[in-house]
Amino acid sequence: MLTKILSASHFGLEPNLIEVEVNVFKKGFPGFSIIGLPNKSIEEAKERVKTAILNSDIDFPNQKIVVNLAPADIPKEGSLYDLPIAIGILASMELVKMPDEKSFFYGELSLDGGLRHTKGVFLLGLAAKQKGIKSVFVPSGSANEASVLSGIDVYPVKSLSELITHLNGIKKIEKLSHSADSFEGPRSEDLNVEFDFAEIIGQESAKRAMTIAMAGGHNIFMMGSPGSGKTMLARASAGILPPLTDDESLEVTKIYSVSGLIPAGEGLIHERPFRSAHHTTSRIGLIGGGTNPHPGEISLSHNGVLFLDELPEFSRGTLEALRQPLEDGVVNITRIAGSVEFPAKFMLIAAANPCPCGYLGDPKKECKCTPRMIMKYQSKLSGPLMDRIDIHINVPAVDINKLMSTNSKPQILNSKAVREQVSKSRKIQEKRFKGLNVYVNANMKNKHIKEFCNITKEASVLLKQAVNSYNLSARTYFRIIKVSQTIADLSESKTIEHNHVAEALQYRVRNE
Amino acid sequence: MKQFNRLKGNQGEEMAENYLRKRGYEIIVMNHQTRFGEVDIVALKNGTLVFVEVKFKQTEQFGTPEEMIGKNKLNQVRRTAEMYLLTNPDIAKKFDRYQIDAICIVGNEDNSIKRISHYENIY
Repeated sequence: MLTKILSASHFGLEPNLIEVEVNVFKKGFPGFSIIGLPNKSIEEAKERVKTAILNSDIDFPNQKIVVNLAPADIPKEGSLYDLPIAIGILASMELVKMPDEKSFFYGELSLDGGLRHTKGVFLLGLAAKQKGIKSVFVPSGSANEASVLSGIDVYPVKSLSELITHLNGIKKIEKLSHSADSFEGPRSEDLNVEFDFAEIIGQESAKRAMTIAMAGGHNIFMMGSPGSGKTMLARASAGILPPLTDDESLEVTKIYSVSGLIPAGEGLIHERPFRSAHHTTSRIGLIGGGTNPHPGEISLSHNGVLFLDELPEFSRGTLEALRQPLEDGVVNITRIAGSVEFPAKFMLIAAANPCPCGYLGDPKKECKCTPRMIMKYQSKLSGPLMDRIDIHINVPAVDINKLMSTNSKPQILNSKAVREQVSKSRKIQEKRFKGLNVYVNANMKNKHIKEFCNITKEASVLLKQAVNSYNLSARTYFRIIKVSQTIADLSESKTIEHNHVAEALQYRVRNE
Repeated sequence: MKQFNRLKGNQGEEMAENYLRKRGYEIIVMNHQTRFGEVDIVALKNGTLVFVEVKFKQTEQFGTPEEMIGKNKLNQVRRTAEMYLLTNPDIAKKFDRYQIDAICIVGNEDNSIKRISHYENIY
């Protein structure tokens, strides 16, 4: 008998409807074959399904079984087809009754017949909403991801035998109610961060720059000698990230669900992502890719922060690949199988030494590099890439005496206070860009700048002077206005004053 | 042990032979061996040359005989069958259709047959 089960896979972030057709033959040599371009992980589903059915106290049929994953021309991967195949076999043997309304089945089986947390359930929920499918059967560990969405019935399934009794109407599985308050979630006040801002002594100007960058989502580049605290500053900045807004949260959850980075039992992602990539990261690892494209680090830090330490150590190709996503906020990946667009509105924090030995411009230690070495080192950071970074700061070495002094300074801002500042200014921005799919100043398009930024006369005179004397590019001009807007937001000013522009300029003009 | 396996195999093949004869098959050759392997039975029915792979298991406790015939075994039988056709052109010329069958036999403890299943054209 032939049974058709609905499930969904995804290509990039777009869900695909997959029909799992199962036929258990009355005649023919017993065997179990899966067709429809399965990859290795699906080939292995045979053994999982077989053992799971046996361990649910059902005899596996000694008959010829053919499973077709339609449409047959799309390559399939992943373990999500285990449950639809198992249910298809059982339904073909007339051991379970299929539900009357269209339903999705999704999930990986464990050998004991239990269901394991499977990635991509959030996308399955979206697919169900899109295609008008009422109920979805998913592993109980992943059910919270789908229950975030309204209008679908989510059944958390613990094991195959539980699902069989449910479908046969013996004992119903309680469906998970749509939890509107899941947006409120556990937004803990004290984030689990390595460093607090208050732990960083000195570096007041760098902290100020970091606050501005966080508030407006601007890219920031720190240069300084070894041990001056660049990495510490970046790590501490994870603690001043404001929580995600509801719309942002949905976008991030989508990417994390596809990547399988949502832990079992959890639903929406509330914490702003902070990702740091080592400099040996490959281009595909950073940008995303693969035959069936997967999101890279830049997409995983969408709406959050990507920290690249030791920027010049990254390979040239990797860094240049960042240029287009930095500007557009999306990355398009095209492979033979098709083209995928991943969102990548991330804020870049980059750190570097000024030269190979690291002490160029250090007041105490002499730099040992030849001019040629310095040139070679700095030429790794190309002009177009640096042009896309709004805030450039120097992080000089801290005076040791200052570090050792025991008198504590109460005026040092701690992370919590800075976070409140940042959140406040983000709220102002959220209100300003409502409905525009722009969340922070850094993502403003030029037309938005014309629409929203009120520059006073004095400020625009100053800006004009700066553009002329420093030969700034058009992009830099607009980026300075964006940073000025963020500084104005931080001081809760409705207009951009000349002192705001002056501060923004100071972060922009690099001392060559 | 090896000898014992051989003995059981012969026992199974005998059962299969009887089974086929009863159903009107003409047995051409038993245990045809080539360097690729062995075809247990070459038989004839309704103008089709049938190569039969026989699997005999005394008990199903350690798996069904069906499970013991995998892709590789089938390929081996096919290659052996082709070899047979090449080396016996006078037989091969007479027929234009060939097929591979499997006969799976499960025995009881007292050497009687518990079940015998015949699967036709399984390649």
